[in-house]
Amino acid sequence: MAEETKNVSLGKTLADGIWSQNPVLRLLLGMCPTLAVTAAVKPAITMGLSVIFVLVCSNIVVSMMRHLLKPHLRILMFTLTIATFVTIADLYLKAYLPEMSAALGPYIPLIIVNCIIICRAEACAAKNGILVSVVDAIGMGLGFTAALCVLASVREILATGKWFDSVVMPGWFVPWAAMSMPVGAFITLGLILALVNQLAGKKT
Amino acid sequence: MSKLRYFFQESWLLMVSSVVFGGLLAATNSAWEPRIRQNEIDKFNALAGAMLPQAIRFEAIAEKVSVDLGKGKTAQVEVKRGLTEQAQTAGWAFVCEGSGFADKIKLVVATDAGFAKLAGFGVLSSNETPGFGDKITIKNGFFQSQFKGAPADLLTLVRTGDRTKIDSEIVAISGATVTSQAVVDILNRFISQVKQGLEEKGVLQ
Amino acid sequence: MDTLQTLALGFIGIVIVNNLVFTKFLGTCPYLGVSGRLDMAFGMGCAVTFVITLAGAMTWIIDHGFLMGTQLEVTRYVCYILVIAGAVQLVEMYLRKFFPTLYDSFGIFLPLITTNCAILGLCLFIYLWQVQTLLEAAVLSFGAGIGFTLAICIMAGIRENLELADVPAPLRGAPITLITAGLLTLAFMGFAGMIR
Repeated sequence: MAEETKNVSLGKTLADGIWSQNPVLRLLLGMCPTLAVTAAVKPAITMGLSVIFVLVCSNIVVSMMRHLLKPHLRILMFTLTIATFVTIADLYLKAYLPEMSAALGPYIPLIIVNCIIICRAEACAAKNGILVSVVDAIGMGLGFTAALCVLASVREILATGKWFDSVVMPGWFVPWAAMSMPVGAFITLGLILALVNQLAGKKT
Repeated sequence: MSKLRYFFQESWLLMVSSVVFGGLLAATNSAWEPRIRQNEIDKFNALAGAMLPQAIRFEAIAEKVSVDLGKGKTAQVEVKRGLTEQAQTAGWAFVCEGSGFADKIKLVVATDAGFAKLAGFGVLSSNETPGFGDKITIKNGFFQSQFKGAPADLLTLVRTGDRTKIDSEIVAISGATVTSQAVVDILNRFISQVKQGLEEKGVLQ
Repeated sequence: MDTLQTLALGFIGIVIVNNLVFTKFLGTCPYLGVSGRLDMAFGMGCAVTFVITLAGAMTWIIDHGFLMGTQLEVTRYVCYILVIAGAVQLVEMYLRKFFPTLYDSFGIFLPLITTNCAILGLCLFIYLWQVQTLLEAAVLSFGAGIGFTLAICIMAGIRENLELADVPAPLRGAPITLITAGLLTLAFMGFAGMIR
């Protein structure tokens, strides 16, 4: 019985991270990279995968340390852990995916102050075992990546007529250059949030 | 003594994890740093090699050339010689940058062996307006093709003209005059000074 | 004279032309969260300006004085965030001791500032732009803070008026704020290319 409830709650944790507790669309965390890297789908996916990597690693480390943490040094320890893994992710991108690293620029190190990661470390990893923390991290990370991809797809298709570097729009389509500029980012995200609010509102 | 003990009691985890994380960072860095440096060299070589097809490798000359950027700033430019299979000079290539419409524009410029004609330019990084200024990045597009074979001298930007005629007059991209002017200004500023610097060092025959 | 001109142009550039919120998407979280009322927005803006100037100057010093000299550039991000967290703590302690009324009016904003992307973002941009002098770094940081304050106050003014408007239900809250931010960005785009 205990095994079953544990499995059910793991599945629920995963699903929560993707929809009902989606960090970008419901919890409104991590807005800065969402707007900055979603001009095209490739950088968005790269950013999403980097965040998943950092989330999982930092949740594992924090969860391992959770009984040893002193209260007033907690945030410092979280920050140190996150900064280390973000540096590793940044080095990896510079070494193996240099064009993505150049496209994402300073927004990879900005993962350090991404509220999602520190909030999950505080709210979940510091209080739960390793397995739950990892599942939570994966759920949140997937939710984040999904939200980024949706936004990036809309922006890329409207701004260039291409999706993932292959042409999708018919020939008569005139690209909306504004979509690849900050204007398009803010307005599209606002409209997507409104849509999500509408869908979520209808459910409850 | 007890204060010291208290200090260690509270912060031992912090110190241990600092050492562990530091070690982790040092290990990853030493593993991947040569690859990172190689990536930068590859990027330059790819752009410069596209403009100087006979060059199979690029070698930096011994000293850097000093370029005056105005407003009291100077830049140290590393000029690279493009070498053919027979170790002959195919041309010269270097990185230059300046401010564009939105942000800094970084270019790779290539010239022929005698530094008399340009072989063209490539964009390393820019942040210009999509659909307008970023047309400077289109390889062999409207704008870039006007620089292939243009004289390595003072270039002027014109609004209308014959873009197929290769001379020192460059036709601007319609709707992106500021960006076009920025590219021309960068080239004007760097080409004459780099040429002068190379002549002074006796590198140009 | 040249230095003064570079500094003045750099300052105007980062306040209006390359405003951190509108062009670089930094500081969006507090921008959306705290811009409900004009006085709260102004308080947040002032706190951010204070910390960002301090952080910008200190990270430049650490970068040029320490990191570039030794081979420790890989610890750059760790050092930056530790300096910023430390700066925020220092400012908090200093204010609590010497200016208690000011500390009370800042309220909860000060601890929140550590996770403000604008501060770490600005420190990274100062490194990226290869700013050469401490004075230029300090002026740019101060300008960034002013730009952020400007952006957040404009937004607060608009939102105060929006409260009286009839916003459809799904759009209330974050969505309409984002759309307003987008329109503000559009307006500020008019300044692009002003500084060459």
